Amino acid sequence: MTGPLLSVRGLTRRFGGVVALDGLSFELEPGRILGLIGPNGSGKTTFFNVLTGVYRAHAGELRFAGRPVTNLPPQAIYELGITRTFQRSRLCLTLTVFDNVALGNHRRLEHGLAFNVLRRRALGREFEAMRAAVCELLAIFDAPLAERLEEPVAGIPMIDRRRIEICRALASRPRLLLLDEPSAGMTPEETRRLMDDILEVRRRLGDLGIVLVEHEMSAIERATDRCVVLDYGRKLAEGTYAEVAADPRVKQAYLGLA
Amino acid sequence: MDAGLLGQYVVNGAMLGMMYALVALGFTLFFGVLDVIQFAHGDVVTAGAFAGLATALALSAAGVRSDAALLVAVALAAILSMAALGVALARALVLPLRSAPPLNVLLVTLMAGTVLRECIRLFFPNGSQPHRFPALLPSGAFVLGGLTLRHDNLLMLGAGVLLVVGMHLLIRRTRLGLAIRAVAQDEETARTMGIDFERIVLVTFAIGSGLAAVAGTMHGLYYNEVNFGSGLLLGVIGFSAAIIGGLGNIYGAILGGFVFAALQTLGAAALPFASAYKDVFAFAVVIVLMTIRPTGLIGERVSERV
Amino acid sequence: MTPAAAPAANASSRPPAAAAIALAAAVAALAFTFLHAESQAAVGWIAASSVAAVLAAARLGALRWASRGALARERTTSVALAAGLAALVLAFHDDHFTLLLLARVLLVATACLGLHVQFGMAGVVNFAGAAFFGIGSYTAAVLAGRTSVPHVAVLAAAGALAALVGSVLLLPLLRTRGHYAALITIAFGIGFRTFLEVNDALGGPQGLNVAGFSLLGFSFNENWTVRGVEVSFYVAYVALAFLLLGGAFAVVRRLETSWIGLALDAVRLDETAAASFGVRVPRWKIGAFTLGNFVTGVAGALSAMMTGYIAPNAFTFQESLVFVSIVLLGGIGNAWGLLLATFLVVVVPEKLQAIQEYRFLLFASLVVLVLVFRPSGLVPRALRRRFGEAP
Repeated sequence: MTGPLLSVRGLTRRFGGVVALDGLSFELEPGRILGLIGPNGSGKTTFFNVLTGVYRAHAGELRFAGRPVTNLPPQAIYELGITRTFQRSRLCLTLTVFDNVALGNHRRLEHGLAFNVLRRRALGREFEAMRAAVCELLAIFDAPLAERLEEPVAGIPMIDRRRIEICRALASRPRLLLLDEPSAGMTPEETRRLMDDILEVRRRLGDLGIVLVEHEMSAIERATDRCVVLDYGRKLAEGTYAEVAADPRVKQAYLGLA
Repeated sequence: MDAGLLGQYVVNGAMLGMMYALVALGFTLFFGVLDVIQFAHGDVVTAGAFAGLATALALSAAGVRSDAALLVAVALAAILSMAALGVALARALVLPLRSAPPLNVLLVTLMAGTVLRECIRLFFPNGSQPHRFPALLPSGAFVLGGLTLRHDNLLMLGAGVLLVVGMHLLIRRTRLGLAIRAVAQDEETARTMGIDFERIVLVTFAIGSGLAAVAGTMHGLYYNEVNFGSGLLLGVIGFSAAIIGGLGNIYGAILGGFVFAALQTLGAAALPFASAYKDVFAFAVVIVLMTIRPTGLIGERVSERV
Repeated sequence: MTPAAAPAANASSRPPAAAAIALAAAVAALAFTFLHAESQAAVGWIAASSVAAVLAAARLGALRWASRGALARERTTSVALAAGLAALVLAFHDDHFTLLLLARVLLVATACLGLHVQFGMAGVVNFAGAAFFGIGSYTAAVLAGRTSVPHVAVLAAAGALAALVGSVLLLPLLRTRGHYAALITIAFGIGFRTFLEVNDALGGPQGLNVAGFSLLGFSFNENWTVRGVEVSFYVAYVALAFLLLGGAFAVVRRLETSWIGLALDAVRLDETAAASFGVRVPRWKIGAFTLGNFVTGVAGALSAMMTGYIAPNAFTFQESLVFVSIVLLGGIGNAWGLLLATFLVVVVPEKLQAIQEYRFLLFASLVVLVLVFRPSGLVPRALRRRFGEAP
């Protein structure tokens, strides 16, 4: 596949008087991991929300594998192969681990009334296949998690919930994965492990592109190929982690140094 | 249509609108501070009317003759008892269920309203029958051309206007109002500002329920009758009115009350052969309105953190 | 890292069928004593002692054993309960009152299953359940006996009409959320009743007579004599009502344990996240609302034909609240609990005539208590299982 996987041009989104995204432009190549960093309120989650169709863009253009995808509804974005995790963990707490991850593969699941009510043996086979797939995914991140398929998520600790949410986003074998602060609440050790697992995932799903929003700079350094630094909805700097970390404008924005 | 008939419709519409507005104010206040719907509110209106009635009957039996004194006593009894009831409902049902799904509070208060309604029906002497509400306002009327304006209606409208203005002043000009607005905006921030969240919520419920009591008393005085079951419809209408104006918006609630009354009056006027359809018509319009503007005419500030 | 083996649904580790059969037998026996009791004092005693027995069983862990077992073998449980019902019918074969009551329980349960699909599964609240029940009833009144449409088709038409009328509310329901959506069905429920009363073509406040059900020339409204034993004609209605309930229940349980159930759960619990994973939220809500109204309408039609007479005051907002109470008491989302709650709500006021007057008060109070202290319902709700999962 030639050309960038994701192309963002002049993306703008306002909330009343606040300009959350201000002419944001950047590109992501297939198979690459892009770090999206910036102070709180710089528009990172808003970008995810606009891309996935939760909010409308007020100006600008988004292209995915060459196709224009601006302002498509969330379901269409998912069908194209873009999935995400949420900053504030959004799992269905009263459902089981399996249910939550399986939901991620909603597209591939058979939904006809006749199939689900009458063809129970075939349904059972689908369930078995899905169970195996879910276990495989979970095992990438934490083998014991695969044993807890039938437990309600409400009883699972926060760290594991984040892993489950990532698995949910991976269940449909997406082409672009959006991760919104996956390491929030983790120790540096757990963060390091998570980044390794994400790299492992990228290794297995060859051309998976990932946009990673993170506050933990060591994670960004470890896992990403390039970074985009946001400030008040605009791109402040772009480059490898080393390049942006050395950029004086970035230091100014983050630390207020002249 | 002659001026007299038109005048009738207008005054009737205004009276209904005032009553609905008072009920809607309660709904919108409760939603404002707690994001909940207190669906026993309509039955609180009826309970207020019955409390007033009981007071009037007791005092009359005790020999009190003065209409003015009775009126004051009725109003006070209704307002105070309903304020207490509102606080009790908030304490027992609404505050404890705050963290449950919001629909649960709607359901539990809906059922509580049924309990209230049935208690009136079962335990008030002859509760299932309509009771005569004493006419405590001065009779007589102004006649202007073809138009007849009854004194009691004018007094009630005037009282309603005073209450509405009073509410406006309370919310905008007093510390209590400021506290209420702060709590309505953001509970946590209000707490960190030193506002006693629970106290403000209970005070809000007391105010809203007191307004309901006034509405109930007005209802009784206007129709000269109280009925144990009228609270259900009044509650739904008040809820609709609050929604029309946008939940949480005080001025919207008042507007909504008059809009609904106007719809009912329009329906009754347009379909004189089947004036019972006026409710169907009014509700149908509300449903259409909500399809067009799901969060009300003036709109509620909705934001879901994604 | 090596992928872990998928834990397979292990058939041999399922609890024995004995638990299911024991539970069904206990339920049938309890129902029998309840229905058989004549005096109100007797009913009161039975009610009190059964509550005590249930609490004791819960304490001893027997309840958990029985319910786990029953849920693990739903087919066995269903067959056992059907057998229990048949036994009850046999026992009361000439008792019009009890059989009518049983049929009513089955039909109200069916109607509430419709609400369960809407609210317990898809999260769409419907406060106009009685109105859709009424649409079904009035359809039956108009079609059966007054036209030559075969009665089975009448039932289907009743469901279809209820679903069709309900579709008028779909657009407002889809556009609104939460409390606003609640108002839509409340307003519809109240408006429907007014509409019925004002409409003389449908009998006005006096109501309409409804022809009895007949199948292939065989009228359900005539008593039979089997080898010299008089059998109440209501037996036929009980049988048909059971078929309706059984069919609806089987479909509902299968939906719950399938991918459709997962989609509906996602719609109910988190629309935004569901949409992000491709769930077409409006489509599922429409499907659930329509299916629910269809089921409720069919139940209403058979109910009308069974009682022979309908009037607007049976389809009030209060009655809708009774349906909602049943769904809440059984535990939101708990289809089995719904059956139990229906039995309690329908039978107890009939047997305890003294509390007939107080029944709205009692149910409402009970629901308030349940919502405050035990929101999961009277019956402990089993985690929603998908296909093949252990309870």
